Amino acid sequence: MKSIDPRVNRLPKMGQPGKIIPKTPMDQFGTFEVFVQPKEGKPFQHEGIVHAPNIEMAYVLAKEAFTRRFACTSLYVADTHHIFVSEMTEGNENAYDRIAGKGDNSGNEEYYEIFHLLKRGKQHIHAGTVRARNPQQAMAHAKDQFKGKSVLNVWSLRTADIRFTSPEEKDLWVTLPDKKFRDASDYKGGDKLKEFLDRMQS
Amino acid sequence: MHLPAIKELLYKIADDQLILGHRNSEWTGMGPLLEEDIAFSSMAQDKIGQSLALYTILQQLGEPPPDTVAFMRQGSEFHNCIFVELPNGEYDFSLVRHFLYDTGIAIRFEMLTSSSFQTLAELSTKIKGELRYHTLHANTWIKQLGSATPESINRLQTSLEYALPFALGMFEESPFEKDLAEQGIFDGEKILQERWQKKIGEVLAQTRLQLPPWNTIEIATGGRVGKHSEHLQPLLDEMSEVLKIDPSAEW
Repeated sequence: MKSIDPRVNRLPKMGQPGKIIPKTPMDQFGTFEVFVQPKEGKPFQHEGIVHAPNIEMAYVLAKEAFTRRFACTSLYVADTHHIFVSEMTEGNENAYDRIAGKGDNSGNEEYYEIFHLLKRGKQHIHAGTVRARNPQQAMAHAKDQFKGKSVLNVWSLRTADIRFTSPEEKDLWVTLPDKKFRDASDYKGGDKLKEFLDRMQS
Repeated sequence: MHLPAIKELLYKIADDQLILGHRNSEWTGMGPLLEEDIAFSSMAQDKIGQSLALYTILQQLGEPPPDTVAFMRQGSEFHNCIFVELPNGEYDFSLVRHFLYDTGIAIRFEMLTSSSFQTLAELSTKIKGELRYHTLHANTWIKQLGSATPESINRLQTSLEYALPFALGMFEESPFEKDLAEQGIFDGEKILQERWQKKIGEVLAQTRLQLPPWNTIEIATGGRVGKHSEHLQPLLDEMSEVLKIDPSAEW
């Protein structure tokens, strides 16, 4: 069958129609979590995941997957395996109430980034940094640091496991505000359709 | 200011960006993985945007409007190097071309940030971040696949050897090299090529890919003077197909 898209017609013929070639299990890349800073001074927020073979590739792919449209000043990524997640809670239960004890003292003292989920269906938002010997202890220290704060879920992530945007890479988003052509609204399709229909009627 | 020299410089850069931008956009919806499809398409848009900026400067210098020069010229009137018009082939070639080309264009624009032609210097400074991303993307993939599996290394090596003669065609000298350098507009293709070879060598040294000795590579020139391969005209026909149905239509 010929397509009206010439690119499709140029594709090499592969397989047989209707015959599905099974994929080998686990042939996909692992996932990395993507955090975006929408504005200077605002906290980083979790935006989603990318698939990638390593953290540097994840950073490169996350940049266009998550920051090609809306204002962005910085980005970082971390391997999903490195995110330590608090117990899930129901309703308005404070996730910090489920964090008991101080955690053990194994490991060296390092920085950990703490993220809070404040509203169901929304993203985790960066809340602050603590020093701890392991992710569990980081959770316990966060419980002290954010005393009295009610949150739905907590993440801790070792700062050293993050691929940050370096200061010289801050110019990656300089021309983003010029790329209005990536916003559907910029094409004013509705206005053009209305104009066309009006013209047809008269 | 030497107008023909500047125009020649602007046209060749703009045409390179437009043609490769169009070629790379052919991958949209067909990329090897979703995230890469989006990234490669975005960079193709950046290239076409940069060509628009250059055609706009040309218009200020008395040339026809950007849409006219982009869509209405014949192949022989284009100044792009042959490298950018070659078909995409498989993704290994597209990635190798992306790496070789974007390394070159990034250095070219970096040189132009200090051009005595103010408008071009300003544009070159403005798009620095876009070029930074393009080279970061290219280098990261080349380092990844250039050391991953025997298949990925072999594929990149084959594409590299096929691409290099065409890549060197990027630096085909213009009749105005001396004028451009003397007036501080552009330091010239020779200096650009030297810096490019050094940078390419540095990145490839971090992989298992082998760079053949530069003096063994035959250079594919002609593009800068309108002598193109058989691949350019079909690309132009396809790119302008919709516009030519009704050139007066408003979009």
